[in-house]
Order: sequence, then structure tokens, then C-alpha cells
Amino acid sequence: MSRRSFHAVSSLGQEILLVVVILALFAFVGAVNPRFVSENNLTSIFVGNAYIAVAAIGMSLVIVSGNIDVSIGALIGVLAVISGLLVTSGYPIWVAWLAPLLIGSAINALVGCLIAFARVPSIIATLAMLSILSGGLITFTGGRWISGLPAGYQLAQFRLLGVPSPVWFMVGMTIVAALLMRYTAFGRSVYAVGSNPEAARASGISPSSVVVRVFAIHGAIAGVAAVLFATQLQVIQSTTPVGLELVIITASVVGGVSILGGVGTVVGSTLAAILFAAIGSSLIFLNVSAYWLRAVQGVLILATVLADMARRRRTG
Amino acid sequence: MKKLMTALLGASLLSTPVAAQSAWTGGDDQPTSPLACSGESPAPEPGEYNGGAPENAPDRKGKDITVVDIPKLVGVGYFASTASGMQEAAKELGNITINTDGPTRANIDEQITFVDNYITSGVDGILFAANDPVAIAPVLKKALAAGINVVGYDADAQADARQWFVNQALPNGVAKSMMDQLASEIGEEGSFAIVTSTFTTPNQARWISEMQAYTEKCHPKLKFLETVEAQEDNILSFNQAQTLINKYGDELKGILGMTSVATPAAAEAVQQNGLCGKVSVVGLALPNAMKPYINGDCIKSTILWNTVDLGYAAAEVMRQVVDGTLKPGDTTVKAGRLGELQIVNQSQVLLGAPKVFTKDDINDFDF
Repeated sequence: MSRRSFHAVSSLGQEILLVVVILALFAFVGAVNPRFVSENNLTSIFVGNAYIAVAAIGMSLVIVSGNIDVSIGALIGVLAVISGLLVTSGYPIWVAWLAPLLIGSAINALVGCLIAFARVPSIIATLAMLSILSGGLITFTGGRWISGLPAGYQLAQFRLLGVPSPVWFMVGMTIVAALLMRYTAFGRSVYAVGSNPEAARASGISPSSVVVRVFAIHGAIAGVAAVLFATQLQVIQSTTPVGLELVIITASVVGGVSILGGVGTVVGSTLAAILFAAIGSSLIFLNVSAYWLRAVQGVLILATVLADMARRRRTG
Repeated sequence: MKKLMTALLGASLLSTPVAAQSAWTGGDDQPTSPLACSGESPAPEPGEYNGGAPENAPDRKGKDITVVDIPKLVGVGYFASTASGMQEAAKELGNITINTDGPTRANIDEQITFVDNYITSGVDGILFAANDPVAIAPVLKKALAAGINVVGYDADAQADARQWFVNQALPNGVAKSMMDQLASEIGEEGSFAIVTSTFTTPNQARWISEMQAYTEKCHPKLKFLETVEAQEDNILSFNQAQTLINKYGDELKGILGMTSVATPAAAEAVQQNGLCGKVSVVGLALPNAMKPYINGDCIKSTILWNTVDLGYAAAEVMRQVVDGTLKPGDTTVKAGRLGELQIVNQSQVLLGAPKVFTKDDINDFDF
């Protein structure tokens, strides 16, 4: 009990820290160029990167459960292409929106089974999946883009109460996932399996079942991310952004999810994704080369992991 | 926490350039050769011929010949339009038959197999667009050794593995088309920013340097703001264009897209911001990707080469190589309706200035 409450406090600390850093960044860059904090630019920052924050929610669950998924970027690319192909071949728009969730969930449930029952380490299983998905995508599409998307398909361009839909998805899904992780038996079992599978099993939790379910949920969330990714512009690029999986994993880790499992929240990963988006935009406003974004992300990873290790040592 | 913030902000401050930039970001340091502001530029000396030659080729002068065209891949609009240009030339010439055949995906191994099979089955000439300049060279040399005439277009092989290469555009030509079009849309004193792939991508870096040289010579009052990187990533290109719009507000009059990914993404950003007609997008892009914006009157043009003309020129060059009317040392070649084309870079035929596609003709092209 004391251990869990400690974790809650420590990751809450990480979230507060992130909020402070984000606000400081906005204040600083806004002081240099007030247009940085204009409504337009804030919208750009949130909308253009919401799919990363959404994908990082599922990634956080996976990492908390003591696993990792390096195939997420390729999966998003494949699901986006599937969605685009469905809608351009005449299927109803809602099918094109829903199919990525189901297919993503099915693919990742399979990966979860490999990890849980065949005992394949998650990094190996998902590395294999990365090759299968990205290789298959290039072979299948030949690098051709999907265009001619029908009107009404661009979910990510919709607005509700003046707020773009990707922001609703990002905030809504973060809240739902946070409540699920904190207050349900399933959420607690994910922490239990991630911090100590043997102890979890002793207390009546089936680690295998938890891992499969975590991956299935992660796949469905990746489906949402893929739809947001696919519906942002008028064309769908049939390749995946280089290093997308690393950005998503980095968001989870900097958000306070321990790479060793058992610790972290989805609120932290969403805040970290917002921070990266804000840094990316601020580099242009400050006339700094975009190369610094990677460097800054690296510094943040190191700082977070070192802080996490220091905390663990203190509590020993 | 404080330390982290200080480090973050410190890093940002330290690397902020202090002095105004003299060179456009993203260019290379190679020498430039800007074209004349208007009218024809004097043709540069092509240099000594460095292409190959077929061995013991039979005399095919004026005779009916059979040629195979092996593009990077078939089944895509781009190479369908080069093939249609070849058929147009074949019809005009009357004594050349061209079949287009090739892999269904841009795969060098499959392409080599195609070339090899056609050497075995026997053709008079091979036209190709290489998937890999080095990997395709041995099989093309084999074709030359078998007495087959070999001419490349669109994507070259090593020079000695073919006779001539029809080059669709030179960097200084691309630069002139881009900057002339930009100046015509935003005025001679407008401000613009560039969205490129990365600062070190060779083609884009070359074009940016040539664009700067040409602008200083011919549009000296155009104001360069900055170059941002967007890899070849659709969403990142869109976000970067969006951030430029947010950062510069009314000052930004034009965005130059340096890749076929960046240009439509920048157009999308302009459209989603309701800035059609206020911010121009000028860049290299496939017509199909730009049709929604050009037909919707949001963007005026897209720049690329005319792929039909590229195929037409390749077929014309093949005929003249076979007839011996294009030979090493020539400085120009007559190419049917295209008129006289320049010889450049020792053994290349230059198609000419890139084409500016507008609403008037973009729908005639499907690639």
C-alpha cells in the first residue's frame, strides 16, 4: 500500500513538473514572439501532434505492464492506409474510421499472445512486427499515396464547440485511460503485473491475460491515432514517419512511465507529447535548427530516467 | 526542475543565430551558375563525351527498329505519361516501334531481370529509367556489348553504361522557374520561407543554392525569411508550414516547397488557414497531388517537367543515336516538335526549362 501511494505521488510530481516546464516554455517563447501564444499557433501545436499523444496513452499501458512496443509507428502507417483504401473503395466512412481500431486491436492481441504465451520478449516480438508491417506496407502500396478522399472523411478537421476534434480525442482518451488505470481492478492489475508478475500471480491475477488485454487496448488506441493521422490532410502518405515509435516511447518515458514497468500515468505521457510539440514549434519561433528537437528530447529522457533511478535508490 | 528549465532555455538561447544570415539555410557550398534573368542563357560547353558505345552494332540507319522502354516501374501515372510521349514520337517517326515493359514496383533486381530478358530476346534499342545508377550498369553494359543502343531518361545510370541520357532538368533551371514564378505571384518585394526535406539532402541543397544565386541576380528585393526542415513527412511538412504562417503572420507572402511532399502539405496549410490568394505556394510537386488546390483556385501553379515531352525526347534521341545524327561532340540535337535541345554534362540531352502547370492545363496530366 505504501509503495503504491509513493508511486502515485512520485508520478504526480512528474506531471506537475511537466506542466511547469510547458508553462515556462510558453511564457518564454511568448515573450520573445507573442504570436507563439496566439490561438492559431496553440491550435497548431495541439492538433498537429494529438495523434502522438493518443498513441502514447496505449504505449504507457504497455510499458507500465512491463513490456515495450517498437512497432507502433509502422502499425499506425498500416492502419492509416487501410482506412484510406476502405474509404476510397467505396465503403461507408464510419467503416473506414472503425476498421483501424478493430484491426489494430486484433494485430496487437496476436503480439500480446506471442509475448504472454510463447514467452517471446516484447522487444523481439514487436521488432519482428515492425519489419513485417513496414515491409508489407511498402510492397503493397509501392509508395503510392492515397488521394481522392471523400468529403466528410476528414475526422481530424472537424470541430466541436470551436475546438478541433483531435484535441477532444487527446483530452477525452487521456481522462478515460487515467480513470481506468487508477480506479478499476484491471488498471491496478496492470501495475501489479508490471512491478512484480510473481506477486501478481500469487494474488490471483493472470499476468498472461493482462498482457494480452493491454496489447489489444493499445492496438485499438493506435487505430484512433491512425485515423487522426490519416484524416488530417487530403492525402494519406503510404509510409510511416521516420522514428515515430521513438517519439511515442519517449513521450511515455518523459511522462514518468518507468521503462522497468509498474510505474507511471497516461496524464504524464500526454503532457510530455504536448511539451515535445511545443518545443518543435518554439524552435522555429526562436530560429533554432530543428536538429535541436532530437537533442532536447534526448536530454529530457536522460534527465527523467536519472531522476527515476534516484527516487528508486532513495526508497531502496 | 529549475536546472532542467535553465538548461532547456539556455540551449535555445545559445543557438539562436546572432547575425543576419548571409546564405540561405539549407543550401550547399558548391559553386552556382545562375541563368540569365530573361531570354536564352548561353549554352555551357558540354565537355568531352563520356557515354558508352554499342559493340559491332549492325547498320540500322533509317531502318525499322524495335525498342523496349523499361521504366522504374509500370502502372503509375508518371511513367504512363512518359510512355505516351514515346508513342507520340514513334507515330511521327514511323520507323520505330516502342514497347513499354517493366517491373510493377520500383525494384532494381526485377528491373535487371527485365533488361536481361530483352537482351536475350533481341531488340535494337533499350530505353530505361534506372532504379539504381550503379546496380543497373553491368546489365546495360551487357546490352551495349550485344550491339544494342542504350539511352536513359528520368533516372540515369553510370555514364559509360549507356550512350545518352535525357536529363529532365538542371538545378539552375529549376531555380529560375521557382523564383520567377514566386516573384510573379507575390511581387518583387514579397517575403517568403522555404520548406525543404533536410538541410543536407543533396538535390534540395543544390536547388536552394542555385535559387539564392539566381534571386540575388534577378529578383534582388525578394526577402528570404528562413528555411525549415520537414523530412519527407506529410504531417510534419504541414505542421512546419502552419508554424511559418503563425510565426510571420501577414509578412509571409509565399512558401517554397522543395519536395513533392512539402508542396501539397504547404498548400493544405494555406487552405486550412483560409489564406488562399494571400499566401502563395510555389514548388515542385506532382500535378495530381496539387489538383485539389489548383482547381479550387487556392494555389496558382505547380512546377515539374513535362513527362510527356520527356518520353517524346527520349524516343527522338534513340532514333537519332541509331541513325548516327546524334554523335559524340555534338552540342545540340533536333528533337521533333521540341526543336533543338542542348547537350550538357558530356553525354546528356537537356529537356529544357521545367514546366509550370496551371489550372489551364493541369487536368491534361495524370501523374
